[in-house]
Amino acid sequence: MSSSRVIGAIEIGTSKVVVLVAEVIDDTSLNIIARADCPTHGMRKGEIVDFKAVCQCAHAAIHAAEEQAGISLEAVYLAQSGRHLQGCYSVGVTSIQASDQRVTTRDVEKITEQAKGKELGDGRLFIHHIRNSFLLDGQIVENPVGLQGERLEVGYWSISGDERSLHNQIRVINGFGLRVEDMIVSSLASGSLVIGDAEKKAGALVIDIGSGTTDYALFKNGSVVRTGVVSVGGDHISNDLAMGLRVNRKQADFIKKKHGKCLVEKEDKQSTIWLYGDYTIGDRKITQYGIAQIIHARLDELFSIIKKQLGSFGTPAEIPSGVFVTGGSAALPDICKLAQMQFQVPSHLGMPPRWVTEDLRTNDYMTALGLLHYGLTSRESSPAQSSGSGNTLIKKVARILNFNL
Amino acid sequence: MSAYNTESGFDPQILGDQVQQTQIAIVGVGGAGTQVVDRLQLGAYSAVKLIAANTDAQALGTSVAQEKLLLGRKLTRGLGTGGDFDRGREAAEQEVGAIERSLHGMDLVFVVASLGGGTGSGAAPVFADIARKLGAMVIAFVTYPFSFEGQRRIEVADAALSKLRSQCQAVIPLPNDLLVQGDDEAQNILSAFEQGDQWMESGVRAICGIVLKTGLVNHDFASLQRVLDGIGNKTLFGVGLGDGEGAVDQALAALKQCPLLHAPEGAHRAERLIVSITGGTDLGMSDVHRIANTVNEMFSSKDETLLGATIDEDQKQRIEICVLGVSDMGHRGVLKERKEIRIAGEPEPLELIEMAEPKSKRNPLDPGAKPDGKGPRVHTSKLAKKQAADSREQEEFSFFSEGEQRGFFDKTDRNLFDGADLDVPTYLRRGIKIYQC
Repeated sequence: MSSSRVIGAIEIGTSKVVVLVAEVIDDTSLNIIARADCPTHGMRKGEIVDFKAVCQCAHAAIHAAEEQAGISLEAVYLAQSGRHLQGCYSVGVTSIQASDQRVTTRDVEKITEQAKGKELGDGRLFIHHIRNSFLLDGQIVENPVGLQGERLEVGYWSISGDERSLHNQIRVINGFGLRVEDMIVSSLASGSLVIGDAEKKAGALVIDIGSGTTDYALFKNGSVVRTGVVSVGGDHISNDLAMGLRVNRKQADFIKKKHGKCLVEKEDKQSTIWLYGDYTIGDRKITQYGIAQIIHARLDELFSIIKKQLGSFGTPAEIPSGVFVTGGSAALPDICKLAQMQFQVPSHLGMPPRWVTEDLRTNDYMTALGLLHYGLTSRESSPAQSSGSGNTLIKKVARILNFNL
Repeated sequence: MSAYNTESGFDPQILGDQVQQTQIAIVGVGGAGTQVVDRLQLGAYSAVKLIAANTDAQALGTSVAQEKLLLGRKLTRGLGTGGDFDRGREAAEQEVGAIERSLHGMDLVFVVASLGGGTGSGAAPVFADIARKLGAMVIAFVTYPFSFEGQRRIEVADAALSKLRSQCQAVIPLPNDLLVQGDDEAQNILSAFEQGDQWMESGVRAICGIVLKTGLVNHDFASLQRVLDGIGNKTLFGVGLGDGEGAVDQALAALKQCPLLHAPEGAHRAERLIVSITGGTDLGMSDVHRIANTVNEMFSSKDETLLGATIDEDQKQRIEICVLGVSDMGHRGVLKERKEIRIAGEPEPLELIEMAEPKSKRNPLDPGAKPDGKGPRVHTSKLAKKQAADSREQEEFSFFSEGEQRGFFDKTDRNLFDGADLDVPTYLRRGIKIYQC
């Protein structure tokens, strides 16, 4: 007998709200039954600046998706981004007490609590605790229980967010009469979808360049080792172009999409484009070289910031599988070459896995698909999960997210 | 601008024996400023008085300037300020007498300093103030610290800059960041600083050249004064150099690319322009004409362009174009300052008095204390209010005005990473000049 349930995923992005509704069949396969997107107003750099406007946009998108699916949603998965998200790495260590030096479940519990017990500042909440590998006497082990050793260590990458910003996002969803089932940081959602298990194991960096923010996640040994948000995105490129070429935002956006490129090449000095191209008054020539200079400077800086934030994890040795660039700005030509120059590892465009149907295979739905994927897999791991109300959610989200699945 | 006629004022017949060459002094303040003065190669302009001023006796000892001023003998005992801005100022204030003596009788004073440190930032405004009170025209060339030098130095430089702006006819800031261009990766730091010196030198030479040298197209000091009239003007400054075949085109192209004109400050047009062209014996009138037209078009100068062209016999097929432009910021509001100069200053050439007269009539700053003010009362009091507002606006003007740079992100929180605001376009922060056709 096959069972099915319906799950929804919402990403409130800086440029648009994306809603996907999927039917989960037998807890193993996803069948997308509705998708809707609506341009967002009132968001800057991944954060809400006009609550009412964001509500209207989000509600319009949810409504459209519900109509399409012919059902009404009860709870959704919500993606989180924005500068307020911060990650920290904490470690739990213990020396094995037992006389036979075998690791017991108590040892594991002890170090897990120790690693997660970090105090947060006022007004901040944990969203995820992501477990990294166990280290038994310096050796990576998947499950240490029963193994012999002297010293057991575990690291957690914990992501926390600003309480008020998180509540605001939840309130947008609650305003439509929906519950937020869980919140997932965007970089995890898109990251876990873009790359396969082999890359997660070897080490890979996923960079999702959205409109307002750039989210990145570094996978290593099958788990998420680092995540981060830089509040620089496609909007910044457009703004730079608008200021550098002295055109308005709309024109800058058009130039970015039509003529944008990430690498500065000598031969571009000769090639020019027309601002309007229709012989109207005020039309003027713009050099391809200048456009490339502006975009190159911005993205080069963005990649170098990420590299800097990753510290020792940003070295080629840590990311042998390379860099995967996704998000709206990944459409810019040569962006992979630029990433390759900065990180010194092969770079690829992040593509959704093969099971995703043709019409959803654009960068736009990556995060929302990742959310659904998460919704599917998280149910598998914790089937008896209680569905609390929106208010208790905050307590619930701080649970362990294990990407070792 | 056309309310008074200055050309008639410089008639040697009227002034008789009083006519002499325009007196120019260049003051290097602080360590970096002194170094620039030392390196200036003015050649033909030997009449220019070079003054080095520093709080550090040791550094001053090595200077080759004609006149050296040790500042704050009592305060710092010749040991420098240690980067303390207030000490720099106090040190200069202690030596007001000596400064006045050395700047006495000068018509034009250049103040050259590097902002961000103690002496340069503290003392340069004092020099400018004294020079202005002595009735001289003051032009400041100052470098602005690298952004990696830290917030404190930048704050100090900002404060000094706004002070200078309220005291000088023209302030030309040269952001050090522009010296390190993304384009020239091979460029080392020494040649970068050399470039900075060269810019300053070109500026000083260009202005001196217009006034002192007799050339193809000639001007007097009064016309320079008219162009740079007013205090706290927004200025633009650019240099272009051409060499060999097609030097004119080369120089024009170089001028268009001059990073100084793409500085974040953002003055891209000027109401009044000074264009100085220095060329070899082969410089023709048609070249001058072409350069003037192109430059005017570039900066859409509305009011006036002062064009000077000089011939340097040594330079063959080599053309240097130097552009200095001003736009009024709070022009009317600063006239008050000019009036004070008239009272405090030495007797001045005729045309200056003529200049000041009509303006002081038009400028009833305090309507209550001005019983002889012509025209209806209501009108004048409105004007005064407007002037007050104008001057306030001008004082608040800062070098890096943020609103102009953040565009779309203007009203959002600052997006800081490593002390840099990421919302400001990267090319601006890196000082990359955008290639234009």
